[in-house]
Amino acid sequence: MIWSIAWKNVWRNKKRSLVVIIAVTIGIIAGVLLVGIMEGWTTQRLHDAIYNEVSHVQIHNNEYLRNEEIGLTVDQTGQVIQSLDSLREISGWVQRTKLVAMAGTPWANAGVVVYGIDPEKEKKITEICRKIVPGGGDYLDSAHRGGILIGDKVADLLKLKQYNLTDTVLVKLAGVIPEPVVLHLEPLRNIRFKSYKEFTEALKKELGTRELNKYGLLITGQALDYRIRNKIQITLSDVRGNPVQGIFRVCGIYKTTNAGFDQASVFVNARELADLYGGNEVLTHEIAILCNSIDDAHTVKEKLDGNFKGNAVRTWRELAPDAAMLHDFIFLYYFVFVGIIMLALAFGIINTMMMAVLERTKELGMLMAIGMNHRRIFSMIMLETIFLTFAGALAGMLLGWAIALALGKTGIHFSGWGEGFEAIGFAARVYPVVKPGFIFFTTLMVIFTALVASVWPARKALKLIPVEALRTE
Amino acid sequence: MKVIELKNVNKIYNSSEVKVHAVNDVTLDFTEAEFAAIVGPSGSGKTTLLNMIGGLDQPTSGDIIIGGTNLSALRSSQLIDFRLHHIGFVFQSYNLIPVLTAKENVEFIMNLQKWPEKEKNERTLELLNAVGLGDRINSRPGKLSGGQQQRVAVARALASRPKFVLADEPTANLDSKSATTLLEIMEKLNHESKITFIFSTHDPRVVKMAHRVITLEDGKVISDDIKGMPA
Repeated sequence: MIWSIAWKNVWRNKKRSLVVIIAVTIGIIAGVLLVGIMEGWTTQRLHDAIYNEVSHVQIHNNEYLRNEEIGLTVDQTGQVIQSLDSLREISGWVQRTKLVAMAGTPWANAGVVVYGIDPEKEKKITEICRKIVPGGGDYLDSAHRGGILIGDKVADLLKLKQYNLTDTVLVKLAGVIPEPVVLHLEPLRNIRFKSYKEFTEALKKELGTRELNKYGLLITGQALDYRIRNKIQITLSDVRGNPVQGIFRVCGIYKTTNAGFDQASVFVNARELADLYGGNEVLTHEIAILCNSIDDAHTVKEKLDGNFKGNAVRTWRELAPDAAMLHDFIFLYYFVFVGIIMLALAFGIINTMMMAVLERTKELGMLMAIGMNHRRIFSMIMLETIFLTFAGALAGMLLGWAIALALGKTGIHFSGWGEGFEAIGFAARVYPVVKPGFIFFTTLMVIFTALVASVWPARKALKLIPVEALRTE
Repeated sequence: MKVIELKNVNKIYNSSEVKVHAVNDVTLDFTEAEFAAIVGPSGSGKTTLLNMIGGLDQPTSGDIIIGGTNLSALRSSQLIDFRLHHIGFVFQSYNLIPVLTAKENVEFIMNLQKWPEKEKNERTLELLNAVGLGDRINSRPGKLSGGQQQRVAVARALASRPKFVLADEPTANLDSKSATTLLEIMEKLNHESKITFIFSTHDPRVVKMAHRVITLEDGKVISDDIKGMPA
């Protein structure tokens, strides 16, 4: 009976209840989306950190971590590899040569880390092979000698990106942007610009601000032309400490979500790199390991750590502390975001319920007079508050979830801040993720908020003295 | 048989400036099946006396004994329970629950008492038929006239077969015809169910129909006329 009356009481003042329900709905949608975006970023950052950059576990020589010298290879490499083969928690591993070098083109130089890899094995451990930009060539191929795979940012630094509105590009653009805009671009036809800055400045002269804002990105994207097959000179120290140079040709350009990684990392065939630094064998400075699951990383570290004292075995937590921090603190983010939203909503709910109690003073007095005890009065007001909160929360969670699911497919593109996000390892396009755990957690928070918000109005109702309450008009 | 006993009941309100003796040394008995009216000018203490009999207010001194229970000895929660099981209330402004239908309003007290479903339905229909609203059981108070709402309130007051019903100015908000109909229904139910009815009223029609008229003035009983019990 109390449940039925409480539910009917919620709808006594439809407009007021709907305002509160809508406020709760909007609040929960905002919470679900905010947390969904945070979760999306965290998932993406963690995934990219592991599958593009650090894997689950890495092994280096202890000394190499302090001083990245060519001779400081992984201690007892053969035995380490034998151990890896015996661990069930491991799904794959690769050996890498890792050397600090200088990369140069006729137009610019840049400091880089050259990774000597086995391209085919590397495909099973990292996703770099799937990060080749459109028009950016191909992944490293063992069959073709002399190839080098560089990051988009390295291409920038070495001026291997040019912008050219060729006849073909203009024809393509004519299909997607208005003809008058294409006509404005005519003066730039077939002119080669060596940097993004030069090209955008030229564009500014030909196009109005509105056209530039609307079509600038599209035009730049189409005009971008990577200098694939261009030569890059790599200078590094050989095994005897003497500087040596080697020429590689750009086979492909990759782009991850971490501009810092792209700016420093280039990949070549390990064997070809060995030919450059000399010696009879391919040196192993780094072993990157993928486990069956992220939770196995610690177990693998524990199993390897004691056996090879000369090496440092580090998990992704130590290798990518930013991703680890996000992973660990995501629950705190949930708590803070949803907590703030709930706190704000609680005041609205309390206000509404206090109004409801005040308006029904006489009726509550009557109910006490005819024999409705305090427990029942308290329960009734509490249930009304819970119903009011839950109606909004349910709608909010369903709508929020639906929106997050839809956005999870298309993604949200923060185009204006793309470079900023990528500088700290986040993708400019985020795919919100709403996990069942979050829905469960939000439900708990809603229950808690409803219960807390209901106490004050319910106590107010209990403080009424029937004979006085009955006298109110 | 005595249903209510009031022994030297006093109620004094102490405000900061004045002391008001709202009920002054009242000693009265009410027996089963009485149809009594408490009358007097405004401020004579009628409502205060009725509130104390109903356990809604405590006397400053004196005893109110109902069916052998001294109300002064009961705690607040016990008083609520006592009212639920032994007293029916009819208020001047009906005080029905607006979100419930006539039937649900009548059932309300039986629900609080956890009556079995079948008995509850039978009793509700019996009472709503008795007050002439058998065809309006699913109407909410907003769809009923004042007279009809007060009849629902009477049915609600009688639902749990209380020892007595306290009616505070029940006809004050009703037109003449509705008031007469209501009083006839109440008198009939009093006669049939032997439940005591005590009114506080200014209405001469109530006084005319009452079998006993107690007149208060300045909180004191100045007359207690018994016109005779119904046959």
